[in-house]
Amino acid sequence: MLCPEQLRVQAYFDGEVDAIGAAEIERHLERCGECHELHLQLQRTRQALRGELEYFRVPQPLAARIGNALDEAADADAPAAARAGPVRPARASQAGWWTRSFWTGAFSGVGLSAVAAAATLFVWMPMLGTNPLVDDLVGAHLRSLMPDHLIDVVSSDRHTVKPWYAGHTDVSPAVADFDTQGYKLVGGRADYLDHQRSAVMVYQHGPHTINVFTWAADRHSLPAQVTRHGYHLLAWKIGDLQYCAVSDTGWDELHALAALIQGVA
Amino acid sequence: MDDKRRRFEVQVLPHLDAAYNFARWLAPAPADADDVLQEAVLRAFRAFDSLRVSDVKAWLFAIVRNCHFTALKQRQRRAQVPLPEEHDADDGAALVAQVPGPEEESIRSSEAHNLNELMQLLPAEYREVLVLREIEDLSYREIAEVAGVPIGTVMSRLARARRALKGQWMEQMQGTPRAVP
Repeated sequence: MLCPEQLRVQAYFDGEVDAIGAAEIERHLERCGECHELHLQLQRTRQALRGELEYFRVPQPLAARIGNALDEAADADAPAAARAGPVRPARASQAGWWTRSFWTGAFSGVGLSAVAAAATLFVWMPMLGTNPLVDDLVGAHLRSLMPDHLIDVVSSDRHTVKPWYAGHTDVSPAVADFDTQGYKLVGGRADYLDHQRSAVMVYQHGPHTINVFTWAADRHSLPAQVTRHGYHLLAWKIGDLQYCAVSDTGWDELHALAALIQGVA
Repeated sequence: MDDKRRRFEVQVLPHLDAAYNFARWLAPAPADADDVLQEAVLRAFRAFDSLRVSDVKAWLFAIVRNCHFTALKQRQRRAQVPLPEEHDADDGAALVAQVPGPEEESIRSSEAHNLNELMQLLPAEYREVLVLREIEDLSYREIAEVAGVPIGTVMSRLARARRALKGQWMEQMQGTPRAVP
């Protein structure tokens, strides 16, 4: 024989009754052995499910696939006029002069190659559709934006973040906070990338999150600049380390952060 | 990135892992869950313009669920498989599904060694409420929205799902000196 209060006991357990109802059920639980046992059972079941049940997260290839599909859907949404017009070259020229003057002014050595990369970017773009590393980087960036994925070690202190990498990643990049320049170091993370445990520095720039991935540069080459799924990827090398900054922020902001990081490396 | 795409990424994509987990528990074959998630995200994106719901997560889950059952129907077009019938909340006999689908059937023949395998022995509609309630912490009202059933049905289905899980546990672990969940 089942106690007729069982569903109310369950609702109480699930936090679905108000304070008065809860008080009634608590009194009932003291009197009814059957419901008392049910309540314990509900607790055990929840504990087991939350503790042991596998939680499936989106695999990176699927995340990339979905990103591609969304790109196509977004393109289909765009008005025909916008699609027909030369949108990308216009954006390039907007960013161009600022980027050029910034790089030539502050870092003339690397400036030339960066300008060259910027100039050829839009010529390359159609050919870059299949670089798996680019997909991996965007996938890793997207994953990092999901709840509880962004940061493994929370710190704006480079003395905390850098040693943390030693135990969790295969590389040890220079770490610095550029809060005064508008790029706040909010923490670090380890991501599996290009068959390595890469070190990720996470910067906050206004409302934007910028992931700066670093790993030993020995395998796949990256384009200097590429846009995928609406995210900008800016890649550069310092010694044997490959860097890639990924964000939905503008190119100028990414270039500025890259220059800052190159300044301390 | 255009505005719609950006808003979609901010509001919807944070729930992508949860939606995928839900899809995986609905459709145990990973490839099926992959397709379901992709189709669901695309449908969500197309409907996003007209979206005026406050509960994006429940909305996305509902789309995942619809996509799953649409895909399931396509896969099973030749084999008609009825869902387990609803019973009254007080019907204590309806502890386990009497009408397992082919997916459940194939797994039922094997033994469950842990809670994950045990879950696969339950019908999809039980797995569904258990994941939504216990893992995703959705309220009865949200689960009702996702599953498209009245709240009373959510309550009775949840009760039966929990009892079924316990029942399966007892059955599978018979002879094994291990605590009941």
